Amino acid sequence: MVESGKWEPKIVAFLCNWCSYAGADLAGTSRIQYPPNVRIIRVPCSGRVNAFFILSSLQKGVDGVLVSGCHPGECHYLTGNYSARRRFALLKNLLEFAGIEEGRVQFSWVSASEGVRFAKLIERVTTRIKTLGPSKRLVKTPDRGPFHAAVND
Amino acid sequence: MSSPSKILRKVRLASFLERLIQERQVFAPVREGEVILIREIESPSQVVLEYPNAKESPKSVLFPQRETLFWYRAEKGKAEVDIPRDKEQGRVLFGIRPCDARGLLLLDKVFGGDCRDPYYVGKRANTVVVSLGCDDPNPSCFCLSMGGGPCSKEGSDLFLLDVGDRYVAEGVNEKSAALLADETFEKLDEETAALAEKVKRASGASMHPVVLKEKLVEQLERLFNDPVWKDLTESCLGCGICTYLCPTCHCFDLCDEAAGTTGERIRVWDSCQFPLFTQQASGFNPRPTVKERFRQRIMHKFSYLPETQTMPGCVGCGRCVTECPVNLDIREVVTSLSKGNAR
Amino acid sequence: MRQLTTDIRSIARKLLQEKKVQVVIGFERGSMPLRSRPCFVRKEEDVERLVWDGFCENTLAAYLPKRKEKVAIVAKGCDSRAVVELIKEKQAQREQVILIGVPCRGMIDRTRVEANVAPKRILQAEEREDVLILKGSDFEQALSRSDLLHDSCKTCTHPNPVLHDVLAGQPLVEKDGDSFSDIEAFDAMTSEERWAYVSKEVDKCIRCYACRNACPLCYCPECFVDASLPRWIGKSTDASDTTIFHLMRAYHLAGRCVSCGACERACPVGVDIRKLNRKLQKDVKALFGYEAGLSLDETSPLATFRPDDPEHFIVNP
Repeated sequence: MVESGKWEPKIVAFLCNWCSYAGADLAGTSRIQYPPNVRIIRVPCSGRVNAFFILSSLQKGVDGVLVSGCHPGECHYLTGNYSARRRFALLKNLLEFAGIEEGRVQFSWVSASEGVRFAKLIERVTTRIKTLGPSKRLVKTPDRGPFHAAVND
Repeated sequence: MSSPSKILRKVRLASFLERLIQERQVFAPVREGEVILIREIESPSQVVLEYPNAKESPKSVLFPQRETLFWYRAEKGKAEVDIPRDKEQGRVLFGIRPCDARGLLLLDKVFGGDCRDPYYVGKRANTVVVSLGCDDPNPSCFCLSMGGGPCSKEGSDLFLLDVGDRYVAEGVNEKSAALLADETFEKLDEETAALAEKVKRASGASMHPVVLKEKLVEQLERLFNDPVWKDLTESCLGCGICTYLCPTCHCFDLCDEAAGTTGERIRVWDSCQFPLFTQQASGFNPRPTVKERFRQRIMHKFSYLPETQTMPGCVGCGRCVTECPVNLDIREVVTSLSKGNAR
Repeated sequence: MRQLTTDIRSIARKLLQEKKVQVVIGFERGSMPLRSRPCFVRKEEDVERLVWDGFCENTLAAYLPKRKEKVAIVAKGCDSRAVVELIKEKQAQREQVILIGVPCRGMIDRTRVEANVAPKRILQAEEREDVLILKGSDFEQALSRSDLLHDSCKTCTHPNPVLHDVLAGQPLVEKDGDSFSDIEAFDAMTSEERWAYVSKEVDKCIRCYACRNACPLCYCPECFVDASLPRWIGKSTDASDTTIFHLMRAYHLAGRCVSCGACERACPVGVDIRKLNRKLQKDVKALFGYEAGLSLDETSPLATFRPDDPEHFIVNP
């Protein structure tokens, strides 16, 4: 539910189970405050993140996407984040090249012990997306015809 | 029943189109980048009439690439549906070529027959087709061999022929009467009428005929399992351009695009050249390679449709010939099959 | 040109006579002016169909994936690079392919030719070394060949086949590396301008998939556009779906695309498809030091990694 008048971004974060998700959990148990705009999706490894997850999220109207995994060299599956690193480098450049604003899609490494760092990361990502405003460029606006008014945004 | 023919001077065309645009939705050839396409126009200055043919056929005006069939909302145990309504204004398809006008006749049979499609039929009923005869066909044109012609009036409501500084306008049926009543149309004089006849006679002269054997339908049935198909289709990429640009191809797919509890059911173009076209849920595909799929295209156009709809599924527009990335020429294919041997 | 035609025919004849291959995939004259097209020669007497000219624009490597027989392919530089990638991806075995390498001076873009004389119709075209002579019912015009090349030929850096078993003709002078200046210029535009350009191109797309089918490296038995569980993108020409189609097809070709231009040439409505592919090529070169299709021994960039790979894009709070 949106408070009338003020837009709050919706950010989806794909966090790897072993490091980043655990780091997020640590931030929670340590009662560290961070912006509530993030919706977390747990994946086994950052290498599991298919580029389509990111694009589908943007298509559905999400304002920003974050993918976070283990630091290079610390991947639970040894090399998953190395593959991911190469793929994300290319994807980020491609999306920005095509006109998706810089800062909508971001990548980071957060380890299981980095609760404070996770909070700072979310702070930084959320601030960036707030300055970018609501995402419009890849959003698929289904034509709902006469039922448009029925949908809560 | 046709009205008497009249003259439309080219200098007065813009004012005629201006009036049409005010009353109806007018679709005409326009230039977009390097390509001529049929689009709705806002101003007569957009229209291009010195053109061989539009890249895409005008079928997309009556049978769009993407069309909403209905919207729905399904929640709280009940479902509601709403169907889009066409605009009240009539439509005019202006300046299309006779081959494309003839192509509409086949679409009329398919969508207006036993399985009546209200979306197509509704649009078609309030569309006036104004075609423009061809005096200089492309090397890829073969409408004459498909039962049409560069000055054929089949499928048109009003037929225009360019004779220099003016068009001769022939009304084909009562749908054209309202248009011909416009003040821009003048009486046809004998000299112009004679010139028009001359242009018509010369128009087909440069076209290469495609030799089709008389009993092509039966010939094709006999050749269904012939190894000749492998050679004929080996270069086919299975891309689907031929079907998308074809004025008579009409296959489609239905999809639901949902957003929560509301959504729309849409119809999109499909192609028998796509592998998924006949893919069954079991994983079996009766048309597993380009060979079977291309054969299907030829059989459908030249064997099945002549039987079920009394006209072939081809009007000789030549788009598949010019646009096929590997120049797989349907004329050569049909000629080969007609003779009963490979290329 | 004529000499190359003769060379290709005699090489093909010999290969078929000696039963080294079951089919020679080359080019023959098309059915219209300005067209040559792929042809499959299995019998010696059909060897005379083979030609070589400035209209041999198709990427014949597209006919290689999953082929079981022993095949010879008439290969330009771009074809040979595509074949190298296909062999690395196990779509063909090195032993089953004989590459008849042909150094390529670039292929002629017929839309450019037609635009030069429009609305006049071209009934005949004759290619002579550096000139293209066009004839219609009431005109004759000569155009300079180098003005008429496809965009992908203009940026080509490997006119000589990188891999070949036999070479027809003489090698051409190798070109300098690709400067990607067009990509840099595009990058210099603002984000809004770039999005506007992409949206305009995507708007033209009719989702015919000719680009995908013409591409030698697009051979997936089930393409992502056809997936329904999950459905990644919708089938219609919706702008968002179509943009993602182009973005993801380019992305799936990262490190694999050899910029042969088959996609652009196949597109009936003139979408600027290669722009995204070239951006990825530039990045793959800059970030991972890799160029597609140059060597059978080089591992594809997304099939490997280095512990010190670039990570300047990683957010470090």
